[in-house]
Amino acid sequence: MPQYALVIDLNTCVGCHACATNCKEWNTQASFGPLSDFDPYGREPQGVWYNRIMSYEVGEFPNTQVFHLPKSCLHCQDAPCVPVCPTGASYKREQDGIVLVNYDDCIGCKLCSWSCPYGCREFDEADKVMKKCTLCIDRIYDESLPPEHRKPACVLTCPARARFFGDIEDPNSEVYKVIKERNGFVLFPDMGTNPANHYLPRTETKVHVDEHLLKHDNPLFLEVLRRHHVGG
Amino acid sequence: MHPPLSLIWFFLTAGTSIGLFTFTYFMEFLTLFGKNTAMPEKAVLVSVVLSLVLVGLGAVGASFHLGHKLRAWKAIKRFHTSWLSREAVFSGAYGFTLLLFGLAYYFKASPFLMHFFGIITFILGWLSAFSTAMIYASNRFVLEWNTSLTVLYYLNMYLMLGSSAFLALTYHYRPEFITTYLFLTFLFLSLGLAFRLAFNIRQFLISRPTINEALNLPHNRPIRVLDTGTTTNNYCTTEFYYKKGKDLLGSMLPVAYILTFVVPLFLVLYAWITGNHNYTFFALTFLSILIGSGIERWCFFVEGNHVQNLFYGLYPQEGYRLRKGYMERKQTRISLYG
Ligand code: SF4
Ligand code: SF4
Ligand code: SF4
Repeated sequence: MPQYALVIDLNTCVGCHACATNCKEWNTQASFGPLSDFDPYGREPQGVWYNRIMSYEVGEFPNTQVFHLPKSCLHCQDAPCVPVCPTGASYKREQDGIVLVNYDDCIGCKLCSWSCPYGCREFDEADKVMKKCTLCIDRIYDESLPPEHRKPACVLTCPARARFFGDIEDPNSEVYKVIKERNGFVLFPDMGTNPANHYLPRTETKVHVDEHLLKHDNPLFLEVLRRHHVGG
Repeated sequence: MHPPLSLIWFFLTAGTSIGLFTFTYFMEFLTLFGKNTAMPEKAVLVSVVLSLVLVGLGAVGASFHLGHKLRAWKAIKRFHTSWLSREAVFSGAYGFTLLLFGLAYYFKASPFLMHFFGIITFILGWLSAFSTAMIYASNRFVLEWNTSLTVLYYLNMYLMLGSSAFLALTYHYRPEFITTYLFLTFLFLSLGLAFRLAFNIRQFLISRPTINEALNLPHNRPIRVLDTGTTTNNYCTTEFYYKKGKDLLGSMLPVAYILTFVVPLFLVLYAWITGNHNYTFFALTFLSILIGSGIERWCFFVEGNHVQNLFYGLYPQEGYRLRKGYMERKQTRISLYG
């Protein structure tokens, strides 16, 4: 069965919030909008976002690394938020595995958000229903868009090209391959949710510049020596 | 977790309603075995009307928790998977059969009908209580709740509310049963105290996930939350983490214990031992349990820590620190659930 998902490369994500902003921009005016805002220009702006970027620091000073984690609904394959919904408003589509909320059935009991270990559902106080990432279902199937635009808004906008979209069950898809080749991982694996969205781990790239520079036939060899040893 | 007042209201009203009906009908039920336990007609009617009004008020109050009250009927659709759906069905059915029981009793319908509706109402009431408790106990992302203690305490709370309310009723209508109900109230209070203490002690023993597990990173790296993407609160930080409540919890929890257990236990024991059956004491016992349980339920919510708080660095810490190249799991540090 197909399972559409996002794969996010933490190696290239620079935490610019473009995906979150474009997600908000697209979805607030599209089929699943609006994403209500409260006091947007005031002291305490609050609002609904389908996608939020968290930044973390790993390691102990001075050996620290900062990475950014864009977090939207992970379209879990064993979504715990679905069976708890008393109305059936929350459901997982068979044909593509996308988890959606039917706003016409949602009674706003919030139980689904209590049953998501990732905090990926947000209650809209204006519409009084639960909202969440739709995997841009209103873009990916929209035949009026040129084929290269039939992708989630966040994927299209990412300036670092850190986001991939596709069917993680299809061995020929780009997402399947990157997950496999680059050891894609999921958040909170032992929560029994089996998330569809994957993340690609950070890797350290080491370039051994010195070896090249220190070769005798390097025209800059003397220069390097002087800088290194004379401290020039 | 942020405590929703509408749900606390529902616990208290539905709890008193189901508890009171349980003992009222229990006394009727015993007459089937030739016991002279039936309450006078007026007492039964008072109790049934009270139970009906309470469960009605509870349903109205609980609907304030919903974003769309008028669609509440749709909550019956996922009976096969959702405890909330089961709760809605069972408590609705409980209210309905309670009404039928009341009518059968009032119009002196055949004893068969009366007992038939009585038994059904009894079963539905307890199924509804169980479903309510399971909404919390089955949530595996709030580890404090995810235990059978949640259910045991919850069902026992209904018995505490019911037996103490019924105690006040026996005073007026069948004083010879006062001692029985003093004993039952004492029993349920002691059980409640034991369950609540166990619930609290367990919180110190839970092995909690860490932010490393949430982010699926090796355990030997300290991780610090630098930024959560917004400068203000959002739904996730207000619904799952109640700062004010966490600050108040240290003082509210003792108050809950005192009002729910200490004061009522003292009053009940005093009446029991001295034989001084004073109505004010009984009324005070019930009121104290009622108010105490309200505060106790508030604490129950505030004590719950949702694992999504890990992403925001708002989860009780169980840290890891580096030591000679391998990590050592640190003890859970919770400053009284902070
Ligand atoms: S991330 Fe949360 S909301 Fe999305 S499918 Fe998983 S449990 Fe449900
Ligand atoms: S808030 Fe809406 S979608 Fe979520 S469980 Fe309740 S009815 Fe279902
Ligand atoms: S897939 Fe669409 S809805 Fe989901 S985070 Fe990306 S832009 Fe937002």
